[in-house]
Amino acid sequence: MTDTSSDDATEAERVTDDATDPASVTGPGTDHESLDPTEAALGARGLTKRFGELTAVGGVDLAVPEGELRAIIGPNGAGKTTFFNVLTNALEPTAGAVYLHGEEITGTPQYARPHDGLVRSFQSNQLFTEQTVHENVRIVAQTAEQGAFSLDLLGRGRDLATERAHEVLELTELDDLAEETAKNLSHGDQRRLGIAMALATDPSVLLLDEPTSGLGAVETETTADLIEDIQSELGLTLLLIEHDMNIVLSRSDRITVLHRGEVLTTGTPEEIRNDDAVQEAYLGERDEEGSL
Amino acid sequence: MSDATEPTADGRDRLLASISRYQVPIGILLLVGLLRPVIAHDALLGSSYIASSMLIWMLFAAAFNLLYGYSGLLSFGHAIFLGTGIYGVAIGLRHFDLPYLVAAPIGVIVAGLIAYGIARLIVGYGEIYFAMLTLAFAEAIHFVVNADPFGLTGGADGLRSGTTPGWIESFRGQSVVQLGGGEFDLYYFVAIVFVLATLALWQIVRSPFGRTLVAIRDNEELARAMGISTARYQVWAFTLSGIFSAIAGTLLVIRNSGASLENFGMMTGAEVILMSIFGGMSYFFGPIAGAFSWFFAREYLTNLEMVAVPLLGTVDVGPILGYWRFFFGFLFVVVIVLSPREGLWGFVRSIADRVRRRLTEVIRE
Repeated sequence: MTDTSSDDATEAERVTDDATDPASVTGPGTDHESLDPTEAALGARGLTKRFGELTAVGGVDLAVPEGELRAIIGPNGAGKTTFFNVLTNALEPTAGAVYLHGEEITGTPQYARPHDGLVRSFQSNQLFTEQTVHENVRIVAQTAEQGAFSLDLLGRGRDLATERAHEVLELTELDDLAEETAKNLSHGDQRRLGIAMALATDPSVLLLDEPTSGLGAVETETTADLIEDIQSELGLTLLLIEHDMNIVLSRSDRITVLHRGEVLTTGTPEEIRNDDAVQEAYLGERDEEGSL
Repeated sequence: MSDATEPTADGRDRLLASISRYQVPIGILLLVGLLRPVIAHDALLGSSYIASSMLIWMLFAAAFNLLYGYSGLLSFGHAIFLGTGIYGVAIGLRHFDLPYLVAAPIGVIVAGLIAYGIARLIVGYGEIYFAMLTLAFAEAIHFVVNADPFGLTGGADGLRSGTTPGWIESFRGQSVVQLGGGEFDLYYFVAIVFVLATLALWQIVRSPFGRTLVAIRDNEELARAMGISTARYQVWAFTLSGIFSAIAGTLLVIRNSGASLENFGMMTGAEVILMSIFGGMSYFFGPIAGAFSWFFAREYLTNLEMVAVPLLGTVDVGPILGYWRFFFGFLFVVVIVLSPREGLWGFVRSIADRVRRRLTEVIRE
């Protein structure tokens, strides 16, 4: 998959120069990334993912400062989840670079990212379905403790990292369900378990892919509260894909709007609300969908 | 397991808890102790002749299931590792005059190296390609063994003479171990190795390594996203599975008094798959139950006509002798249709569970 990278790289550089050179995009009302990606907790420069002719993510620059709650919004097909996939190397980026606390991590394998402090949750419920809730979290905590690979044949798995697992389950208020099999949980609890597993890696930067999707109004608010609590308690930097505009506008520090795989703008909730381009590209569509 | 937590006296609870915690070791010891006398009973086989073959294949199936059941990877090529164990001993004894206790570990180590090498090449292309590539390697190695390289493997003839250790005495098909002036049936030697090897497999399954394998089986994509180097775990699952398969091979070479080409054959690899699925890949004892049923069905069905002939008078059921596979195949279909992942062992367990629940209900009233 890497054999076409030289071609793509030159193209991507061009994209970067044209569209997202930091100096050229300081338009009125937009506070594009003021920080250099290498100085941010999580940074991306010219991050691109193409599938054949289709550019799913096209030269995205991103710089999320330490401790910020950044929301990523955009209409369906804007490339939000693909962006997460290339940030975590679940998909290899066609071009561009990813930085974590100033270190470039572009080439490191997907499984190495959580050990560096970058982890993501999934939009659909991805769980170890046959295991208990506790085992789901414990196996992740065990991995965080023992590393990406350990040929530990002598211990007893169930005894390892149980403390840590209980801590995380308490934090996410899943401790009552610890012995339940994951596949038997309600949708909302499964969503929360996904977050709990991500937390068990002891991350510094957490990517959440629509943590409230499929939840009712009350559960959505509880989840949003939970996310805020976790962030303040653990001092996390948070990147959040979210469709619920109430949550996005009320809870995030800043918002990045993706449109057709590119950054339309980045700004505070106030700035985004008043941005004409965003209204046109994104909020307009939401009106048609009737969900704003 | 969760239904062992009925509100009862403290001591009994603790006893139940430790029984449930150590049910596999207890089961292994019971199995080894009971297998021989039980199948020798007149109502069953009336002979303990195949008991040691059963144990050896049980170990092979359990080793195979470390890969298949616990890691979710299907190998059509496990004959490679059984065969390497067999030929390692046979070649070592016949061509290099090595003692068994040197040749057997060499065979196991070589099998481990082959497994590691193959796994490094084929892990990470997806489950279907993994299975197909194991098949390709099995074919290739079968070809090499058949070609009799350097006169080592004996080609299609296999290796017979000079492959039995000096401390084994074979007499009328019965193999006897002679050690330090004492004599005991080969079964007990096989049983000791079987117990040690299956206990080791059980420990692997419950170790942090084994727990991670199960997580990868359940959701590989999630495992990677949570920081697990899935490919390396799969490589080692394959390697360990190969090593324990080879241990079974080092026993089978004694039992069969030599090595034959069919040990590396397609059928050998297929039989261990069928045994595991039939017995139930989801359980530690599943493949063990599968291997037992396989041998039991074969012996019982082939013996059946000898018992049945006097009852049926003049009816000649001789041709049925060759068709035990048909009946076993039929049984196989029934079990798979009834419970695909659970197999025979899952079926037995569900009945046992129902009986236990019924009993506790009765006791409570």
